[in-house]
Amino acid sequence: MSLRVEAGDFFGFLGPNGAGKTTTISAIVGLARITSGRIEVFGYDNVTQWREARRFIGLAPQEYNFDRYLSIRDVLIFQAGYYGLAPRLVRERADELLEQFGLERHAKLEYTKLSGGMKRRLTLARALVHGPKILILDEPTAGVDVELRLELWALLRRLNAEGMTIFLTTHYLEEAEALCRNIGIIRAGRLVALEPTRDLLARAGRGLQDIFLELTRA
Amino acid sequence: MIVRINHVAMLTLMRREMVRSIKIINQVIWPPIITTLLYVFVFGMALGSRIKQVQGVSYSEFLIPGLIMLQVIDSSYGECSSSVFQGRFMNSIQEMLIAPMSAGEIVFGYILGSLVRALVIANIIMVLGAVFVHTLPRDWVLYFGIMTLVAVLFSALGVIFGLLAEKFDHIAVLTTFAITPLVFVGGVFTSAQLLPPFLRNFELINPMFYTIDAFRYSYTGQSYLPLWLSLAVIGGLACASLGTALRMAAVGYKLRT
Repeated sequence: MSLRVEAGDFFGFLGPNGAGKTTTISAIVGLARITSGRIEVFGYDNVTQWREARRFIGLAPQEYNFDRYLSIRDVLIFQAGYYGLAPRLVRERADELLEQFGLERHAKLEYTKLSGGMKRRLTLARALVHGPKILILDEPTAGVDVELRLELWALLRRLNAEGMTIFLTTHYLEEAEALCRNIGIIRAGRLVALEPTRDLLARAGRGLQDIFLELTRA
Repeated sequence: MIVRINHVAMLTLMRREMVRSIKIINQVIWPPIITTLLYVFVFGMALGSRIKQVQGVSYSEFLIPGLIMLQVIDSSYGECSSSVFQGRFMNSIQEMLIAPMSAGEIVFGYILGSLVRALVIANIIMVLGAVFVHTLPRDWVLYFGIMTLVAVLFSALGVIFGLLAEKFDHIAVLTTFAITPLVFVGGVFTSAQLLPPFLRNFELINPMFYTIDAFRYSYTGQSYLPLWLSLAVIGGLACASLGTALRMAAVGYKLRT
């Protein structure tokens, strides 16, 4: 698979279950070992220049993997610490993010005390705490209600408008259609489509769902 | 070539381990201290009054360094093994794996956290020993040096078993079948001189014996084995254990797919 996402893009990475979306994300962020090929993040090879490459990436995984011993404020502060940012430098940033995501009242709670929607917001806040340039979102709206979904969409649009590159995987095709400027569709580890959302829809003259099914049908 | 170290990340992980220890203080800090006090009162003061001297000191004085070592070994292994396993089990270790942290920084972060916990417990016991048994280390450099070396050895073992384990039960395998029996027969409660000859020979292949014997030297100035030999064995084992833990983390063993 050969794929290039331009800086500032809002890119949708779609595919059926087991197609390789999460594996691709894992390879980009360093959770999977790369056995062949290469990945560059803003010009940095993510194997040989992994420190630089990883600083640019913010990951919001599908599963909640917060540290259960930390308050949610500390989840943000400690995550920034792992990126090399000293606590005194990020406390303000953490508080800003808690406020931005409506979590400030819960700052001292452990994540297990949060609702599903709040956990999803915390996932995004954590991904942003070190100031990445690309945000990788693995099913960011899975299991959230319509209201929160629209709220997250608005937030992602705003981040993208401010210059953040967004790499989104989702099973909600209307989400990709509404948000993404470019779309890649993957089937069994191979890229079967890669073009601007507008062109993809215009080419087929149908909805994204029909195109997706046609391209990913075994 | 300049080797850059993300020391902030390493210290953050160390702080995280300290937060964890405080959150579960009733599980990890008080029990070893209470158990040690019970050992001192029951074995040292009650039964020990019937024993005149061991290695030139009272039985209670003989007991204190062994009990400190017992808790250093137990707490350093326990901290790293359960924390690493929990991180894998809950996937929270991914917070570090996706960050610009090297395998070495992750391993040393865990070890530093574990070292702090072991030092806190050990020094509380040292103070209790001074208050109740009126004994203090004679050689502070050896006291802290050996304690640190042993804590590093068992913390690294904890990292290894935290990575190997498939379920929580697996972590207890080393404690139940190796660490606890070997520590108990390794000279915490008795001097090797009081053991029957076959057990005395067994002690020579018991790594715990070297740690306890050397550490006791920092208190009594006496040891069964030459100090240099014990230090060499502990140092060698610490290097082997640390090297294995670093290698496993570097290849992403059970960490990266």
